[in-house]
Amino acid sequence: MIAPRRYRRLLVALATALAASFLLAVAVGAVWLSPWTTIRLLGWKLGIASYPRGVPHGYEVILFQLRLPRVVLAAVVGAALAASGTVFQGLFRNPLADPAIIGVSSGAALGAILVIVSVGAGALGAFAVPLAAFAGALLTAFLVYRLARIGPAVHVATLLLAGIAVAAVISSLMSLLMSFSGQEIRSIYAWLLGGLMAQGWPSIEAITPLVILGVAGAALTSHDLNLMALGEERAAQLGVEIDRVKRRAVAVGALLTGCAVSVAGVIGFVGLMTPHLLRLLVGADHRRLLPAVLLAGPILLIMADLLARTAIAPQELPVGVVTALLGGPFFLYLLRREGRGRRAAA
Amino acid sequence: MPQPESEPGLVLRGVSVGYGGGPALRGVSLRVRPGEVVGLVGPNGSGKTTLVRVASRALRPHEGRVRVAGRDPYGISAREAARLVAVVPQDVVPAFSFTALEMVLMGRSPYLSPWGGGGPKDWARVRDAMMATAVQHLADRPVDELSGGERRRVILAQALAQDAPVLLLDEPTTHLDLRHVVDLLSIVRGLADREGTAILAIHHDLTLAAASCDRLAVLDRGTVVADGPPEDVVDRDLLRSVYGVEGDVVHDEASGRPAVRLGPPRAVPVRLGRRAHVVGGAGRGAPLMRRLVRAGFDVSAGVLHATDTDAAVAERLNLLRVLVPPFSAIDAAAAQDCRGLMEQADLLVVCDAPYGPGNVDNLSVALEVARSGVRTVVIEEVPIVERDFTSGRATELWNALREVSEVAFDYDEVVVDVG
Repeated sequence: MIAPRRYRRLLVALATALAASFLLAVAVGAVWLSPWTTIRLLGWKLGIASYPRGVPHGYEVILFQLRLPRVVLAAVVGAALAASGTVFQGLFRNPLADPAIIGVSSGAALGAILVIVSVGAGALGAFAVPLAAFAGALLTAFLVYRLARIGPAVHVATLLLAGIAVAAVISSLMSLLMSFSGQEIRSIYAWLLGGLMAQGWPSIEAITPLVILGVAGAALTSHDLNLMALGEERAAQLGVEIDRVKRRAVAVGALLTGCAVSVAGVIGFVGLMTPHLLRLLVGADHRRLLPAVLLAGPILLIMADLLARTAIAPQELPVGVVTALLGGPFFLYLLRREGRGRRAAA
Repeated sequence: MPQPESEPGLVLRGVSVGYGGGPALRGVSLRVRPGEVVGLVGPNGSGKTTLVRVASRALRPHEGRVRVAGRDPYGISAREAARLVAVVPQDVVPAFSFTALEMVLMGRSPYLSPWGGGGPKDWARVRDAMMATAVQHLADRPVDELSGGERRRVILAQALAQDAPVLLLDEPTTHLDLRHVVDLLSIVRGLADREGTAILAIHHDLTLAAASCDRLAVLDRGTVVADGPPEDVVDRDLLRSVYGVEGDVVHDEASGRPAVRLGPPRAVPVRLGRRAHVVGGAGRGAPLMRRLVRAGFDVSAGVLHATDTDAAVAERLNLLRVLVPPFSAIDAAAAQDCRGLMEQADLLVVCDAPYGPGNVDNLSVALEVARSGVRTVVIEEVPIVERDFTSGRATELWNALREVSEVAFDYDEVVVDVG
């Protein structure tokens, strides 16, 4: 546990880094938008200042129609993924849990594709796809939890195997669905790889309330997750209604994953890396971890997305590919350390 | 909130539970009153941990009644129950590295709101608990880096911070060194005396349990087979019938509490088929009797006075022995019996005991047997003049015995010689 003052300083540093990465991501592209221009345009949009002199009107369109929605979406999705990773790691009592690794993201994707293929993305309103993704994530999370648990513990090996098995079944179901989908297959495939392109404000408006709901749920569950880390029986001895907490944690993790997947496809490793790195800085207490993770997740995904669209510009990489390239080695490192470590079965 | 407590402390009445073919409880009744420390003992698999789980709301019994501080733990929320009964499990290894302070603070969670960091009262309780278990210097250390003993104490502090009127401990002293065992037991005693906490502690060490508990309850195959003050419960019959071991129960002179003494492992299947007889007294024969037994001899002893140290040792070693009442001389019958034992022996050892009117006849019998051809060794660490209390007769016999015997100057010499 770090001292409260150090913790506050860390949060301030993370918030500053978030603002900086936000301005940087908005600035970089075919046209350079300087942070100062961005700030002045934002001030104008919010009605604080008049339209900045010397800034072409085309810049306003680039900022508010292209760059800003993309970066804001990256921030919201990053926050949702990081928070869901935190919740799943706490629930599974395992620092290797991640919504993508344990198959929950695939479940969400299946739910979303089911809606897209059967009735079309916009047919049932903006919430239809996120809610279908949520339902898919929820079912998968319950299934994996039941499969991975042997007696009182969720072992690394069973967790990963259950995740792999469930994800394999789901991906074959998705292939099956996609083979019926005809011309939409290309866009579904691009979306599956994880992408933040061409989403626009409606997606943000659809998922943000749900993400806020999920984060609130995570916040209310975080103290119980601390106690769950001591083992279910010990948590119960200290006053936790474990079945209720487990149900709530699965629901919260699935909601957050569903939101992220419904707009950005399957983006792995953000939910794994963010809580892991932040735990090293703020300690294990989920109540302190969550706010830090909500700032760090967006930074990670904004920067990954920046890399995705600039690395081979004017071509774009799917952002899921970038996070996997960063996160894969990190995951392998953790897996090795866990294997060698004090509690391989933690 | 608890109504006027008709059944304070911990009450189990007619509790039965079974799961998955594992250990079960059958009709267990047990009561721990406020301020009382009760030890729960019994062999592995007798249901001790199951009983603790039943009492801590982890395992609902099929039958029977459970009350903690007057309430049915299965009729209230986990949070309410955690304010009434605290558990110290055998070990807790958190999945993430919490610090010791965070761990102890978790003991306050039945009183905290989901976001509450704890008020002054919570922090005071945490501080007291950490002081009591001497872990305050570990506050900022991650618990997964602590030693087993340190972690045990942190977990104890966590349970103390719960401030519950009933405390259950599952083998609290395992992994602890002697110093911390003593400290822990006095913390537990202090809780019972000062706070009136009702305490039930599982113990494996019967002596420790007897020394530290007001009452012992013995579980065997899921039923309570004895329940009472330690001095009434712990005896040789208990060791034999419940644990299936032979052992002695002695009573501490000062406290009167029973203590179990087990012999060293019986690793003497190699019997030589040879007999040895030891003439001892005043403890001079004891080391030799032990060594000869260990070396595989069938050992007999005598004649000894019944309260003599050597007589007690011979009894413990379960030797064939000839005894006479304390302070009396060796009578003809005893001498006769003893001569019989000596004559059948392959080896006769006469120790350098003090010889007075009460036992000098041992020397004359031994002399006759030695002269008849039995291999005889006399031990002479102490010269005979210093231990002759017969004004010369013992010296005379001893010197005669020396003539027909081998002389050894310490115990090991004898055993090396014959072994």
